[in-house]
Amino acid sequence: MPTALTLNLAPVTLNAPDDKPLLWALREDANLVGTKFGCGIAACGACTVQVDGVAMRSCSVPLSFVAGKQVTTIEGITAIGPNAVQKAWIEHQVPQCGYCQSGFIMATTALLEKTPDPTDADIDAAITNLCRCGTYPAMRLAIKKAAQLKKAGG
Amino acid sequence: MAKFVKTKRAFLIGTGIVGGALVLGTTLAWRRVANAQNFKPPVKDGETAFNAWLKIMPDSTVVVQVPRQDMGQGIYTTLAMLVAEELDADWGKVRAEQSQINPVYGNIVALGDSAPPPMKSAMLAMARVIGLQLTGGSTSVRDGWEPMRTAAASARAMLLGAAAAKWNVPVTELTIEKSIVKHAASGKSAPFGEFAQAAATLTPPSSVTVKAPKDWKLLGTSPARLDVVEKTLGKAQFGIDVRLDGMLYATVKHIPYVSGHLQEVRWKNGTPPRDALHLARGDNWLAVVATSYWSAKKALDEAELVGGGDTGTVLSSEQLAAQYNEVLDGKNDGVLDAGVAHLKPLRRTFGEHGNAEKAIASATTAQRIDAAYSVPFQAHAPMEPMNCTVRIAGEGKDGKVDVWVGNQAPTVLQWLAAGNVGVPSENVTIHTPYLGGGFGRRVDLEVIRQALACAKLTGGKPVQLIWSREEDIAHDAYRPAISARMSAALDDKGGLLAWHHRMVGPSVSKSVFARMNPLAAGDFPPDVTNAEGAAHLPYALAHFKCDHAQVDLPVPLGFWRSVGNSYNAFFVETFIDEIAVALKKDPYLFRLELLKDQPRFARVVDAAASAAGWSSALPKGWGRGIALAESFKSIVCQVVDVEVVGKDIKVRRVVSAVDCGTALHPVNVKAQISSAAIYGITAALKSQITLKDGQVQQRNFDTFPLLKMAECPQFETVIVNSGAALGGIGEVGVPPIAPALGNAIFAATGKRLRGLPFVL
Ligand code: FES
Ligand code: FES
Repeated sequence: MPTALTLNLAPVTLNAPDDKPLLWALREDANLVGTKFGCGIAACGACTVQVDGVAMRSCSVPLSFVAGKQVTTIEGITAIGPNAVQKAWIEHQVPQCGYCQSGFIMATTALLEKTPDPTDADIDAAITNLCRCGTYPAMRLAIKKAAQLKKAGG
Repeated sequence: MAKFVKTKRAFLIGTGIVGGALVLGTTLAWRRVANAQNFKPPVKDGETAFNAWLKIMPDSTVVVQVPRQDMGQGIYTTLAMLVAEELDADWGKVRAEQSQINPVYGNIVALGDSAPPPMKSAMLAMARVIGLQLTGGSTSVRDGWEPMRTAAASARAMLLGAAAAKWNVPVTELTIEKSIVKHAASGKSAPFGEFAQAAATLTPPSSVTVKAPKDWKLLGTSPARLDVVEKTLGKAQFGIDVRLDGMLYATVKHIPYVSGHLQEVRWKNGTPPRDALHLARGDNWLAVVATSYWSAKKALDEAELVGGGDTGTVLSSEQLAAQYNEVLDGKNDGVLDAGVAHLKPLRRTFGEHGNAEKAIASATTAQRIDAAYSVPFQAHAPMEPMNCTVRIAGEGKDGKVDVWVGNQAPTVLQWLAAGNVGVPSENVTIHTPYLGGGFGRRVDLEVIRQALACAKLTGGKPVQLIWSREEDIAHDAYRPAISARMSAALDDKGGLLAWHHRMVGPSVSKSVFARMNPLAAGDFPPDVTNAEGAAHLPYALAHFKCDHAQVDLPVPLGFWRSVGNSYNAFFVETFIDEIAVALKKDPYLFRLELLKDQPRFARVVDAAASAAGWSSALPKGWGRGIALAESFKSIVCQVVDVEVVGKDIKVRRVVSAVDCGTALHPVNVKAQISSAAIYGITAALKSQITLKDGQVQQRNFDTFPLLKMAECPQFETVIVNSGAALGGIGEVGVPPIAPALGNAIFAATGKRLRGLPFVL
């Protein structure tokens, strides 16, 4: 059954089975490949998107769940210009292989919406994605920088 | 082309080649530069190709040809810097482009490094002939160092020559600054792109001098990495992101065992589900092609794969450890045990001076120290799951094959795909996008064979084959489990007199080459990776011996970030610490004492200890450990602070000092050191691969957990620029981290942990 949703601010209808994971509907049916597959079991966060502003692991969300909802992917964030998180990421040269980064950027963007001034403990609790390249040290600095940029209106 | 065919085949056969290569001699060395001048990469958009390594566009953009693969180590950036430096190019107008496959781009250093010292020059000669493009062994910069800088210096001379002719001024009066050619006397200036076309028609200079380090403007600084923006915007293309018209998807499942054969496929409902458009079957796997990865996966979930074999069904990690012990006890030399195939060891000595065995045998009990260590199998688990996209267009010998895959050896893939489909190599195009992590995993060819098999079934439609994470963890080519026994004898004055390192394990290289081509699985030349980091130590030891017993295991093995160094440093540096403790000496000062005649090593150890504040106080329950390792020609010393709460081990701080000769991009050097340390901490604390009944017991990140942000220590890295010959950087932060951590745990708890991962 086709599923209608708002994807990166545009109304779309995805023609895929209801139980197809949102991740694969995005990558295969909407042709948005910035959202990555890492584990398929909600353990790595590479597939993180926002559903109505909440960070969710799209590999473990069926397409039917987002019917009528607002879904934002990394492409949606990039389309309206790099956000504070992306600017801070570039300043701190965070990515290595880069594969996990969309997921971290989506998770961090959602964190800063709720917690504009995250402490280390807030970051540890909210950012539970996995990065096999170990970019965490640069990422922690970038998250704090992003919080500053965002407050300054970046 | 034809004349290379024989050599390639000889290489893949493996043995017997070295003697032949000797005849070719070393006169080939200079040809690398000459060949690079004659080979021109394809051009588009008004680009002018100067030589194999660079093109210049009319707007002065420099397009650097990079034949290595970027898997996060930043190699596009560092190699492009070599070219930009010699051209004095504006870094903002430099791009990197994955080069074509051509012998001119072969990685000579990597092959040289793979040979035992007596065979090195022969291997180098052979490497120049076959021109194998591969990324591994932390060799990319070392290999590109001469040819890329020379090529850029040559292009610079040609640009200046063209400008001098146009302006009618002496070439010696011209300079380049940020891509602008300037003539100070006349005040003339113009971007070098304006001279590119004319310059490329000039004869390349017969010799050029590259800049001395004191004249560098770019190297040694940390310009923005070329890949960061697209990776941050979600625009970087990985293999798994390839999208082609009419593309189908496939996924694969292997028999549950690490070895053995697929005998029977049992479908839940008797037949494959309708979504399965095509089935491809291999020796130990089944793949389903469908219109979506997800439907292929669902279909495959309904298949039970029955198979295995006598060597695959019985192996367990415990059993293996017991058999390793028998080998270390000197048993098993004549017999094959029923449980593990071919456990008859091939015993070799990889390093020796003095008479360690005699000195240790004649030591008194009080003067003798012995310890046994072990490490488990490890998976690579790069974040991007294994995948490969193939399109086969046309029939028979005229067929055209396109392969999109994150890989570490495009030349080998080209041969493989050509042979597999039955077309000439030139009909095969390998597209190498960014790699979502490599760590040695993407040297393996299995996913490519599987994708080729699928693409042969679809009547020309492209197929993207993706492994699930479960298949990746349970069917990796693993870092092997290794056991070691270390013995030392002390002298009467309380010094270290003799050292004997004995270990048992399989040859990774043999397993890798056997999977590339079964005929390549030889025991000769000896696999130097077995004993790397153990065969030669910087420490002053009057008597020294390093023995290795090589066994064949029915488990696929692979190069895992830092390879043999990853376990040998753990054995060596933990044992050094144990000896220091036995001698009641400070572990840092004890190392310095053994490094009296090794100023380069001593400087690195001092740098780490002083940055860490070695003797500063720690809170209760904390401990501090140190370890040193040389790998890939770089020296790294790490000091780890750990907090132990009950059974919980928290790594708080890692201070590293690194001497890689000269840090060309210091920010990236530091990022690689912490990256590698985190990789090593994951293996030391969090994850391992264990076997039971011939099956891997781990499946995904729930059972093979990785270090998370919350568990990540603080990092400080000090760069020691000794100016020595360049060393590698992508792997060198792995080896010392496990022993430094274990030594810190000992300092905190008094408990010596001799096996990985550490469990209190
Ligand atoms: S792919 Fe969704 S959490 Fe890993
Ligand atoms: S940057 Fe490679 S997995 Fe995070």
